[in-house]
Amino acid sequence: MTRASFLKWLIGSVAAIFVAGIMYPVLRFLKPPAALSGAIGQVVNIGPLSGFAAGRLTAVAVNGQPAAVQSLDGKYAVYSLICTHLGCVVEIAGDAFRCPCHGSDFSPTGAVTRGPATLPLPTYHSQTHSGSLLVGPIDLSRAAYPGWYKGEFS
Amino acid sequence: MVGWVVNRLGLDDMMEDQHNRVVPRHATNYVYCFGGIAFVLFLILAATGVMLAVYYQPTPDTAYQSVLNISTHVEFGWWIRSIHRWSAGAMVLLVFVHMLRVFFTGAYKAPRELNWLTGVVLFVITLGFGFTGYLLPWDQKAYWATKVGTDIAGSVPWVGHFLLVSLRGGDQISAATLGRFFDLHVLVLPAIIVLFLLGHFWMIRRQGISGRL
Repeated sequence: MTRASFLKWLIGSVAAIFVAGIMYPVLRFLKPPAALSGAIGQVVNIGPLSGFAAGRLTAVAVNGQPAAVQSLDGKYAVYSLICTHLGCVVEIAGDAFRCPCHGSDFSPTGAVTRGPATLPLPTYHSQTHSGSLLVGPIDLSRAAYPGWYKGEFS
Repeated sequence: MVGWVVNRLGLDDMMEDQHNRVVPRHATNYVYCFGGIAFVLFLILAATGVMLAVYYQPTPDTAYQSVLNISTHVEFGWWIRSIHRWSAGAMVLLVFVHMLRVFFTGAYKAPRELNWLTGVVLFVITLGFGFTGYLLPWDQKAYWATKVGTDIAGSVPWVGHFLLVSLRGGDQISAATLGRFFDLHVLVLPAIIVLFLLGHFWMIRRQGISGRL
């Protein structure tokens, strides 16, 4: 390889990396977000029941939204991991929940055990079907939840 | 394949012509870069603007929601929108600083008066981009800034009222205003600025870079 061809190859490679670095966010940008395609509330199969260990919370994604599956005594509940206070993503802390943003704590049933949140974590409508867990929209009847659970942007 | 295209279009002659142009030593200075930086910002604004238009909806019911959607739901939407917003502010600043450089180095003098004039038009178009783009998020700040801005246009003697209703599409700020500003921002002003940029750059080539102080 001559010096000239090596330099050409080098410049071409750097240019390719540069273009790829710009095109990656651009292509991700063009992909329609889940909320726009009306996916919020759509019933989805989030996997076989064997994937959810008994007595534990398993983090999953429901239509792109963070959620956790709770498996207790053969019953399954799906909690939204979006804090009812200001919409941060709540962390799973053992068998309960804690919000890293402002320190709200939620019990294993989603009830508030420490503020500033005032509303319990919402649950999704869910049911088992031939060994899998189907998840539908959020159960909005439990409390007067903020709009971000309904696909509103504020 | 690159060589084939270059050969068919005679690009090598064109590139050689560009490479043979000598930049005067006094112009190899950072203060001579402001115009070029402003142009790069224009290219960035055009690219990010085209992307934002994919999700933006210019109707009063959905404009604000669609902007929020870009910032919170679209992947890298916050990034693209922030680049557009910050580049817009920087472009106004850079165009103005470029104008100061041209003024204080006397580069507007004969034979470059016409290029100074196209530059002034480009500055006004840049401000027009800023003014029309400011309304598009359709929030309170946008509404009141446009109210004040169009009121100023309305205070011009004789033609003021005509200017005001032409900009607003009526006596009040309404859906018609948003439509008109969107049209100006993405169709009318881009077409005009490209024409004036071509003229601006052609005259630089034609007349050369001004002499030293």
